[in-house]
Amino acid sequence: MLGYLLRRLATTIPTLLIVAVAVFLLVRLIPGDPVQVMLGDAADPAQVAVLKQQLGLDRPLPIQFLYWLERLAVGDLGHSITNGLPVLPLILERFQVSAVIVLVAVAIAACIAVPAGLVAAWRQNSAVDLVIVGGATLLLSIPSFWLGLLLLLLFGLKLKWLPVVGYVPFSESFAGAALFMVLPVATLAMIEVGVLTRMARAASIEVLRLEYVTHARAKGVPEWRVLARHVLPNAFAPTWTLIGLVLGHLLGGIAVIETVFTLPGLGRLLVDSIFARDYPVVQGCLLFTALIYVLVNLIVDLCYPLFDPRVAVA
Amino acid sequence: MSVRANSLIGGVLIALLGGTALAASVWTPFDPLRTNLRARLQPPSAQHWFGTDEFGRDVLSRIMAGASTSVLVALATVVLAVAVGMLVGSISGYWRGWTDRLIMAVNDALLAFPGILLALGVMIVIGASSFGIVLALALAYMPSVARVVRGSVLSLREKEYIEASRVLGNSELYSLLRHVLPNAIAPVAVLATSMFGWVLLAESALSFLGLGVPPPAPTWGNMLAASRPYMENAAWLSIAPGLCIALTLLGINLLGDSLRDRLDPRMAQR
Amino acid sequence: MMGQGRGSLRLLAGLALAALLADSAGAETLLRTRLNADIRSTDPGTNRDANTDGVIAHVVEGLVAFRDDTSVGPMLADSWAVSDDGRTYTFKLRQGVRFHNGATMAAGDVVWALERWLDPATQWRCLSEFGPNGIARIEKILAVDAQTVAVTLDQPTALFLPTLARPDCGQAAILHRDSVGPDGKWIGPVGTGPFKLGEWKRGQYVDVVRFDGYTARTEPRTGLTGAKSAVVDRVRFNVIPDSAAAKAGLLSGALDVIMSLSIPDMDDLKARPEVQLSITPSLSMTGLLFQTRDSLLQDVRIRRAIALALDAPQIVDVVMEGTARANNSALPIGSPFHGSVQGQGYQQDLAEAKKLLAAAGYRGQPIKLITNKRYSFVFDAAVLVQEMARAAGINIELEVLDWAAQLDRYNRGDYQAMAFIYSARLDPSLSFEMLMGPKATQPRKVWDNAEAQEMLRQSMLTADPVRRQALFDEMHRRFIADAPMVVLFNGSELTALRKAVKGYAGWLYPQARFWGVSLQP
Repeated sequence: MLGYLLRRLATTIPTLLIVAVAVFLLVRLIPGDPVQVMLGDAADPAQVAVLKQQLGLDRPLPIQFLYWLERLAVGDLGHSITNGLPVLPLILERFQVSAVIVLVAVAIAACIAVPAGLVAAWRQNSAVDLVIVGGATLLLSIPSFWLGLLLLLLFGLKLKWLPVVGYVPFSESFAGAALFMVLPVATLAMIEVGVLTRMARAASIEVLRLEYVTHARAKGVPEWRVLARHVLPNAFAPTWTLIGLVLGHLLGGIAVIETVFTLPGLGRLLVDSIFARDYPVVQGCLLFTALIYVLVNLIVDLCYPLFDPRVAVA
Repeated sequence: MSVRANSLIGGVLIALLGGTALAASVWTPFDPLRTNLRARLQPPSAQHWFGTDEFGRDVLSRIMAGASTSVLVALATVVLAVAVGMLVGSISGYWRGWTDRLIMAVNDALLAFPGILLALGVMIVIGASSFGIVLALALAYMPSVARVVRGSVLSLREKEYIEASRVLGNSELYSLLRHVLPNAIAPVAVLATSMFGWVLLAESALSFLGLGVPPPAPTWGNMLAASRPYMENAAWLSIAPGLCIALTLLGINLLGDSLRDRLDPRMAQR
Repeated sequence: MMGQGRGSLRLLAGLALAALLADSAGAETLLRTRLNADIRSTDPGTNRDANTDGVIAHVVEGLVAFRDDTSVGPMLADSWAVSDDGRTYTFKLRQGVRFHNGATMAAGDVVWALERWLDPATQWRCLSEFGPNGIARIEKILAVDAQTVAVTLDQPTALFLPTLARPDCGQAAILHRDSVGPDGKWIGPVGTGPFKLGEWKRGQYVDVVRFDGYTARTEPRTGLTGAKSAVVDRVRFNVIPDSAAAKAGLLSGALDVIMSLSIPDMDDLKARPEVQLSITPSLSMTGLLFQTRDSLLQDVRIRRAIALALDAPQIVDVVMEGTARANNSALPIGSPFHGSVQGQGYQQDLAEAKKLLAAAGYRGQPIKLITNKRYSFVFDAAVLVQEMARAAGINIELEVLDWAAQLDRYNRGDYQAMAFIYSARLDPSLSFEMLMGPKATQPRKVWDNAEAQEMLRQSMLTADPVRRQALFDEMHRRFIADAPMVVLFNGSELTALRKAVKGYAGWLYPQARFWGVSLQP
């Protein structure tokens, strides 16, 4: 088991290296540079030169890259160009926000989607199925920021149930933070319910066709037991893989939702840094995101046997 | 939901989309680009069924014109992503060894970026244009195609009839083209239909983040993004494109479902 | 709001420390406003941007400061005299000005602060203005007596005081020595402003807290000077990048003031009973830049044709919804130098435009116009320009870039045309200077005209307003004739406030001022 884990970890290293090189190059391919953005329309060349030199941006690219790699090797992602903060703590702080939203939203989505999918599959082609699948497909078809804005308008402005702006970290006030999280989590959860329900339904249909289900039924096992004991656990396994994929991507990719709800999350940080050409932060964020993606997938793979009895037996 | 109902609803929605796109290239009620500064932000009326936007342009005409732009962008992206993905995936799966390992490492690296952010970066490099969007999104979605194709090829290349083809003296390339790829079409077709929907969503998200298909050419995505400041006062501006995107995606997803069931009932679990 | 304990009751409480503590703990008045991005640093005039300047302006003050009409008035100086040769400025300092650490300001502090600005290690943004290619070199800074400081320049210049007053130069703030450590490293601003810097939670908010030891000037509040007493106990600048969220925050009561509203946001807020609006013209300038070295646009007839195809008043009316006026002059409408000559610009004339195009042999070649979405009104203006040019037979294609990419193209002069926005310049010479220069050495400059350049130089040397006005008038005529760009309009500053906020006033410079502002429960 440990050997397998190490082997899997080792295979991720080339991927991450490629990511590092690609990120470094991509960021610098983008026209415009941080110094110009900082100085704006009033930039005079002398100021630009001085600032570039201070930031080490006047050195040749390969040197900059090697220097960055060298620091990276000891876990130092450098300092933000725009505000001089060390990048790693900045990323970790922002990541907490994104992670809470994503984890809670996906957990809620899974709790709704898996039973819903199971019921839909169980009553395949009935009116219930039609409603569930139709609803799920509809949810998955709505642009996330549109949904977010609609919710914001309704609950924040019309009904005034929830705060619409600002953010309180959990460390300061749990209840306060939770209030700010409701809308983004709800938005994300609704979209993901759409994705996961369809998956869970498909998986359940597959399981329901299997012989042991027929057997169990033939033996007179009550229907709810068949569903809870036989279908649900087996149908959950492929859904779990999808949850992993979703998690991996969302953790770095909820910039849009963070923008709508003004949350200081990782995606927002990344987008802002791209627009500000804050190279170290962009590099750090993308590398971090890739690492998370790889790790989440690894964890999902490792947990897979827990959810799929067939694999565990084999 | 029955396969038939799926195909019917999905088909009707997509036919509507295609019909609108085609119709718009011949006729729209108004010129979708013509501004009318005296008729700004008018609510839906007999003259302007979907109202007018912040420049007094007719929203219905823009929705119609936007249908063709959106469809073209989405189609081009899917075609490009699928073509490149199939090429990369089959090379990787068929030749295996170091080629495979190298290609897959790059592929995984691409997959490890959140697609929309990768596209955002690429868009800034090559500039916001329809072409840029297609390239950026194709690059973001290509790796998934490559993965699926590689998987199919890996499992297929060991099948007897491929072996037979090889024994008969056919070249590797011939066997690949003749026997392996056609069998990988089914999963790719299913993936491609979902991808079409993703592109529509991603295009609106990119517009929202500040870079999309440049105006004045309307797309549903940039119309939706541009409507944002007016959401409270002129809700029709966002409802029309938002609904169009949602309905199209619904159609695509339903069609995709029935396509999947038809191509391979066993694949219902994917 | 928590505005209970203000007024005389509060003053009484202030007499007893314990009572004060109890009071401020229970009923602190807090004014909440918004920044669209976090401040860069607390170090004025160095690592800064407009947001940083705006926050810091509450904390620090310089010898002189801009008034509401962009003229320069006294701030920490009571008055000044200029020697006959125009090179020596003798500042009389105000009595009894206190730093935030309690120390009283004296001439020695002023000399120390000014010399710190001129030290290259400070990395003052405006140091180059006092270098070899700047407005003048500073030869000597002298404490004549405890309340008098004399500064001697190597040549006379009209721009010395305006440069000292520039907000982006940190107003050449008079800071106390405690602002830096023994090694000269920046710690935090110990200034003389009506507010002290409070907590800065990066990415979330920065607070300024009322400075109780502040003694205000006696003349009414104007620009960044005049009577600047803080009324509220604390002002919190919340970092909220998204403008829709900021608007929602104002409506829900989570924010009291939001600045720099977009036009559609203003429309939304106009109808709200709980909101009041403050609309003031600003100095920013939106216009179309042409690359006069482009193979097509080097022909002045084509440039003029584009200018004549446009109905600038209508463009402004639509994109600014009546909050701003069209202006074809490089001088902003609010400038004291903007007179009848500057009012003469381009009149829309499609027939003339078509004639010019025909004469220039233009046959519908596409002209790429770069624009961005960071400034929605710049983008909207570009859309209208494209549409209006089409009516004259000019084929403009829009290219939307992100702001950083557009700035890059701007700085390299790499464009055919772009819709661009210039930030505020507080002196008329500077308004021209940002546009003018030789393209060979400064590719970002739009207008390359040697004769006009000489006039600009003259305008910087003389302080005589009549002479300067004559120079600016002539420059304007040539600017219109050359058409290196089309200025479309100066912006407006739109601020929305909850009705409870009293005493707020916007001004030409797009920066909020929260002294003199109170919250009524």
